[in-house]
Amino acid sequence: MTGRLPSGNGRLDEILNGGLLRNAINLIVGVPGSGKTILSQQFVFHNAGAKNRALYLSTLSEPLDKILRYGQTLKFFDQAAVRDGHIVYEDLGQVLGEHGLDDVLETIDRYLKEVRPAIVVFDSFRAFHALAADVMSFRRFLYGLTRRLTASATTSIWNAPYSRMQALDEAEFAVADAIVALDIKQLAEREVRVLQVLKLRGSRYQTGEHAYRISEEGFNVFPRLADAQDHSRYELSTKRVATGIKALDDLLGEGGYWSGASTLIAGPSGIGKTLMGLHFLFHGADHGEPGILATFQENESQLARIVKSFGWSLDNKNIHVLSRSLVDMYIDEWVYELLDLVKASGAKRIVIDSLPDLMTTAADPVRFREWMFSLSQRCARAGISLMMVVEVPDLFQLRRISEHGISHLTDNVVLLQYVQEGPELARALTVLKTRAMRHRPVVHRYDITDEGFVLGDVLSVTR
Amino acid sequence: MLGMAASTLRAWEDRYGVISPARSEGSQRLYSRDQVEQLRFIKSQLEKGASAADAHRLLAQELAAGHATAAREANGDDRHLVLLADRDSYAADLAEYFLRTEGYEVVTALDATQAKVQFGERSPDVVLLDLLISGGAGFRLLGEFVAAGSARVIAVSAIDSAEEAMRSGASAFLQKPLEPLVLVSTVRDLLGTSALAGLARRTVQSTP
Repeated sequence: MTGRLPSGNGRLDEILNGGLLRNAINLIVGVPGSGKTILSQQFVFHNAGAKNRALYLSTLSEPLDKILRYGQTLKFFDQAAVRDGHIVYEDLGQVLGEHGLDDVLETIDRYLKEVRPAIVVFDSFRAFHALAADVMSFRRFLYGLTRRLTASATTSIWNAPYSRMQALDEAEFAVADAIVALDIKQLAEREVRVLQVLKLRGSRYQTGEHAYRISEEGFNVFPRLADAQDHSRYELSTKRVATGIKALDDLLGEGGYWSGASTLIAGPSGIGKTLMGLHFLFHGADHGEPGILATFQENESQLARIVKSFGWSLDNKNIHVLSRSLVDMYIDEWVYELLDLVKASGAKRIVIDSLPDLMTTAADPVRFREWMFSLSQRCARAGISLMMVVEVPDLFQLRRISEHGISHLTDNVVLLQYVQEGPELARALTVLKTRAMRHRPVVHRYDITDEGFVLGDVLSVTR
Repeated sequence: MLGMAASTLRAWEDRYGVISPARSEGSQRLYSRDQVEQLRFIKSQLEKGASAADAHRLLAQELAAGHATAAREANGDDRHLVLLADRDSYAADLAEYFLRTEGYEVVTALDATQAKVQFGERSPDVVLLDLLISGGAGFRLLGEFVAAGSARVIAVSAIDSAEEAMRSGASAFLQKPLEPLVLVSTVRDLLGTSALAGLARRTVQSTP
């Protein structure tokens, strides 16, 4: 329908299907401190130029000098654009304070003719609300302003410190063509900034809450990974390859597993899950398949030691480590780091160590499943094999795998557990589930040797 | 002065601050020769239908551009005339202003009847016609104006009607809202000349 006003943040523009609506009224609402002024200025600086002048109007909420003082600390703040008149900052506060709403309209008329702005920002719009004598006079003002802005080729951005619920009740909501809401959510003891599109006339957009961060670069948004089910066919791998985990390959037979499959490795502490993941990755690396170890646990020197004891090296050009502390981590921020690394490295194998760590960063189990579904779909379509490690609390006699139903989403589930044989603890491996492969759910003993995981006898487990 | 009330001049001085005369010792306002010329400019703009605010804005722009208003006004009669037919008074007001700053003379009509009358009486060089004027009467008007053969017609609409408009003989189509630069350059291109060109060319243009 109309053109777009991009933000300069590619992922935010993806959410908005290109950007805010050009020649339209765009509302940015959000609680104080959520970044409305920064986001507005980001749109302004990204789009203003000699032929697209922007007019930034402060009202009664904040003095213009304060907006400018903080504004100039942002990387995109371009003093030359202000100096050359591409961006004009003006204070409407005085007009408002002395004469009220009628004079505002006259002042707007003047700006539309003299500045001829392609973009107008009102920061904040709520001041107009407060100054209106009654509901009728506010509506009249709103109508007058809307008519003026509609008649001119102007994209306007109205800021207002409303929460999402409030925004729905205000008169501005009805006249706005696009509404972007910013909020700060409390998750346990952590704060998460979320952005949500409430309205985007005549356009699709990515629904739901998207986490974002603000830095001196401006807004960085992480669209929630929630791919709708894609029914288009994709080419399933017809290639069975060795996982590189000897015991598993022997069990699966016929050359290994389907490449592009997802595998869940569940087992108690110390049984060798991480090591299994490393065998999987280094086997791939040796056979021309780059791999990524995404870890939240091992620190790099500890990891390097384990790796070295098997004669491998983290300097291997086909091995990439994505190591991230869980502190203040957003799950969707992390997934874009992963996807960017996949793109840069051409990775064909990914090990996530571990899944429960990731779960702690998701808002809730339902959201986590949706997220996981999207990630595994993306990997499957790209022919990337995903291996996920899950730690279980029970050492013996496993009762349940606490993975919030993720095993339903994966192609293969491998269970590692301890079994007692007389005075000794033996390690045992069971393939609980394989998709499109024949297998028998038998409990095998295995040993970890220099050769890696070596399959032993079938065990008869007593119950 | 110039047939304008002193109180009006004082009000303009306070309001627009463009023409600020010096004061004599007795606090009398003393207008310089230039300022008198500037007032004459304001007066002529008012006579052409501009608002007092727009007239002062235009004057300020002329002064900023370093134009001697008197010299420019001397050519006034040779200016091209644009008829703006738009149902939206705000859109018409903005377009009028943008064209006036470029030196065009402008007459505005807010409905189809007015537009027809103005077209007949003023014989404009260019018509900027909103196709949705008076509930969609614009298409009929477009046909009539094109058939008259005396003016180039720029069709405008909030809806993309470029194909239909061009088929009906419009010289150009612009989708609303109109960007000032696009509006001005379209009018200029159609006239094939600058707004201040001589009357002779205008006569040639209007006889096909």
